[in-house]
Amino acid sequence: MIERDEHVSAERRDLEGPTPQVQLAASAPALNQKSEPGRGADPDGRGRAESDKLDQYLLRRYHLHDDLKARDQLITMYMPLVRSLARRYASRGEHFDDLVQVGAIGLIKAIDRFDLTRGVELTTYATPNIVGEIKRYFRDKGWSVRVPRGLQELNIRVNKVIDELTARLQRSPTIAEIAEAASSTPEEVLEALESSQAYNSISLQASPTNDPGDDEATLVDYLGGDEDAYDTMEDRTMLAPGFAKLDSRERYILHLRFFEGLTQSQIASRVGISQMHVSRLIRRSLEKLRDEIGELDAPPVSQSRGTDSAL
Amino acid sequence: MSTERINLEVPATPSAFCVVRRVLGGLGSRLGYSLDDLEDLYLATDGLLCAALGHEPLEWVRIAMVVASDDLRLTMGRFTSPDLRAEVAAEVQACNDIDLCRLLHGTMDEVHVADAGAAFDVVLVRRHREVRP
Repeated sequence: MIERDEHVSAERRDLEGPTPQVQLAASAPALNQKSEPGRGADPDGRGRAESDKLDQYLLRRYHLHDDLKARDQLITMYMPLVRSLARRYASRGEHFDDLVQVGAIGLIKAIDRFDLTRGVELTTYATPNIVGEIKRYFRDKGWSVRVPRGLQELNIRVNKVIDELTARLQRSPTIAEIAEAASSTPEEVLEALESSQAYNSISLQASPTNDPGDDEATLVDYLGGDEDAYDTMEDRTMLAPGFAKLDSRERYILHLRFFEGLTQSQIASRVGISQMHVSRLIRRSLEKLRDEIGELDAPPVSQSRGTDSAL
Repeated sequence: MSTERINLEVPATPSAFCVVRRVLGGLGSRLGYSLDDLEDLYLATDGLLCAALGHEPLEWVRIAMVVASDDLRLTMGRFTSPDLRAEVAAEVQACNDIDLCRLLHGTMDEVHVADAGAAFDVVLVRRHREVRP
């Protein structure tokens, strides 16, 4: 029993390395410099080395002594890394702040699960955790309707197969061809394609206009009941031409499709995006135009209109 | 190919239109339509149904899908709105914007209005295109 306790103590001493006091003193400059992992140049690598020492010290404090302040400090230190990784995914339609929050969860998980005996740096372990968490967020939370995991994965596979087949066959593939290439059935492919329409949902907190500076009103403000600002909104809408709601790429794609008569596959290759992305953009653009027209001459009813954005 | 007919009657709500798309998808898939063809069918039917809802309060929409030797014919109705009728029947050359008329003509091979008593149906035809092997 005594032997085992001694063994554990020895193991702890090995992990703890030099005494905390010495280590803390050594890492104090790094703290003062507000070292930011994943950012900034450090030609001689000295700041990085100090930062790593501090990491190891804080990790030991947290894992061996349950020091929650050390954990908080680690999280704060690595938030620039989270922001840097989240920035890579910021153009995918989700709010940057949301991605940072999700990435922070990945960071916290990495810190909590970090194994001191492995001898790797926290950055090495945290990066795939943060990216993984952000990707999971896109996979799970980017759907406006809860789509079963199997269908989500099939959807991803189908999109890949469509791109490959379109490139190989030089034409739009049939459902049967997609099903065969995706090792699936035509029914499942159709279901996966339909489910993809539930992707890229718009947040109820989003602005109803395309103006990023307009943060006064959100879509949720226009749901249900009499809205005082409705008349103002209607006036504004009547004055605005439908196309003004579309961004230049949406206008260009609609022009190619309906004025130049290009197919979605042809547009995809011209614009350099996938056919399914073209499909989504056309639908979204038409929805915007439809909403515009609907607001101009909608009959005084339709309990369903405006509440379902699936079409 | 023999003539085949599918009749659908769905609630006139956007959430029910996915049923129309699923049936169209299944039918188009069986006919060997390409993804482009199917997307066009989806756009046309969604566009028409949403426009109809915007023009008049509807409870139900009837859609007849007829597969003949070389085309897929969709008959959708019954509508009564004169505005909708005018939009569908407009000359595509006169359409400067992406309105219903251009949307339907851009995606379908034939678009016309069929009288049905006091109401009318919209007939959309998509010719079957042989997919190159």
